Amino acid sequence: MNPPAEADSAATPDSTAAERALRRLRRWNRGIALAVGLVFLACAGLVLADIALRRFATSLGGTDEIAGYVMAVATAWGMAYGLLELAHVRIDFLRSLAATRTRLLLDLVSLATLSVCVSVIAWRCWPVVATSLKNSSRANTSLETPLAWVQLPWLAGWLWFAAMAWAVVCLAAWLVWRGQFRTAEELVGVTSRRESS
Amino acid sequence: MLYFVSLGLLGLLSLSIPVGITLFLLGFGIDRLFSPFPLTRGLGSMVWSTSDSATLIAIPFFVLLGEVLVRSGIAERTYAALDKWVSWLPGGLIHANIATATMFSATSGSSVATAATVATVAMPQARRLGYDPKLFSGAIAAGGTLGIMIPPSINLIVYGFLTQSSIPRLFLAGLLPGLALALLFLAATAALCLVRPALGGTRRIFPLAQMLRALLHLLPIVALFTVIIGSIYQGWATPTEAASVGVGGALLIAAMFGGLNRKMLAESLVGTVKITSMIMLVVIGASFLNFTLSSAGLSGELRAFFDDLGFGPLATLLIVVAMYVVLGFFIETLSLMVVTIPIVVPVVVGLGYDPIWFGILMIVLIEMALITPPVGLNLYVVQGARRDGAMSEVMLGAFPYVLVMLAMVFALIAFPQLALFLPASLQ
Repeated sequence: MNPPAEADSAATPDSTAAERALRRLRRWNRGIALAVGLVFLACAGLVLADIALRRFATSLGGTDEIAGYVMAVATAWGMAYGLLELAHVRIDFLRSLAATRTRLLLDLVSLATLSVCVSVIAWRCWPVVATSLKNSSRANTSLETPLAWVQLPWLAGWLWFAAMAWAVVCLAAWLVWRGQFRTAEELVGVTSRRESS
Repeated sequence: MLYFVSLGLLGLLSLSIPVGITLFLLGFGIDRLFSPFPLTRGLGSMVWSTSDSATLIAIPFFVLLGEVLVRSGIAERTYAALDKWVSWLPGGLIHANIATATMFSATSGSSVATAATVATVAMPQARRLGYDPKLFSGAIAAGGTLGIMIPPSINLIVYGFLTQSSIPRLFLAGLLPGLALALLFLAATAALCLVRPALGGTRRIFPLAQMLRALLHLLPIVALFTVIIGSIYQGWATPTEAASVGVGGALLIAAMFGGLNRKMLAESLVGTVKITSMIMLVVIGASFLNFTLSSAGLSGELRAFFDDLGFGPLATLLIVVAMYVVLGFFIETLSLMVVTIPIVVPVVVGLGYDPIWFGILMIVLIEMALITPPVGLNLYVVQGARRDGAMSEVMLGAFPYVLVMLAMVFALIAFPQLALFLPASLQ
């Protein structure tokens, strides 16, 4: 059976199911991104408080260490939002020359590669956490933070990124199969015209 | 290995594999093919130790600072105020474009955000006052690039992190060349408009009282910049601490101008997370590639390669410059920087050049990449804000500024002190 051709505007029951799933992914990850952003803001506040206290020759202590943990965990959890917002930069010079189908094929290949790669990263992150758990390792600092406490949320962030990446690939492949090229391209295409710096 | 890396890089990138993932894949490849011991076993701890960093958290802080300022409506006020100060020059309002971009880059660490902000504010004026769109929009695209040169610059933080050079010194090194570029942009505009007045618009002179009142609107941004850079320069604060002060200051400014509300804050926060995730994926990827390359002994191979070529240091440097100009046609700023650092910086430093100085030289080159077609992000950003007219107009209008940047490249090579004078005074 041939997949139906461009059926972008036709709202078949299936298409709405795909779109519902897509909307749900977006909503979840936006919520996470907002939470991550608030954590960044709180961390900036903490650093500010530390600077202010220094004027009175005292200090909260360990601000640097906490900032580092925040960065690691927040980075991991923000990645999936970046993926859904098409923030992860791709060089689309050749891609932009291709026709719609070739372009979507490149998108799917590229996203699948990302999913495999991120899964490998998440898998390789586990031994780090496992070692900390086994030895009950603590940071070699005044806070003596149990490393597993901060590494577990970090690992969870990478696992979430991997899971989201696979979800996006499957959803995009489904959309392409249904012939909803435009929705698919919104999900996995390139809007690289907005790199950050 | 050199060929493997170069071809692999170009191949995977042109397949439109995300840049960060390309870097990881190359790392895996090098591990498989060239390393006597397994390197990917250390991947997890690489990812942890790269992102567990009190230095890198300065990136989301600076991004947040920029996002808050951009959304606070302060751009309009700055633009209107600078218009009063610089529009008497030949070329009129075009100078306000460059000056606003310069001021914004002095607080925001991003070029594209700067170009987008100025373009949104300035383009309607061009239409209203009947400016020729070419030079007008080209000046915004070029002025916007200063965001990554004038401190605080996110790209310089990334460069410092990946090459293990001091970020405060890089910030100071970028200050003079950044300001010099801004002045040269103004001078080039004035010169062009003297020769061909049709390129610019009416020169306007405002009464002194108005000019002085306008200063009030510039004060918050100038104060914010002084606090951020001053505290780093004086050694009171690390870049991360200065960035958190900047976030506080930006929120204060936004509140002062009545631009602070929940929706705006939420948008700024998710915007920050988006940009941070994009930066961090390439930074972690580059750290991993860096690690595999040095473990597998690339630097030795590179040195042998350049010894065989038999060029002197200067000739090699010029080849590197030419390479950046060409790659810059197709690849953008941060990606271009991050994919080339592991290969190029060891070579250049091995030739006896200062890594801080080379960081600044590289920044000028990747600024140029932002406004050279066919792929030049700032050109698209400005064109996006214009909504009509041909893309080629922006490209053409940006061309004089490309020449100015090239002149800056050669000035930096001839007079390294331009970059190194301020950091040397830090010691």
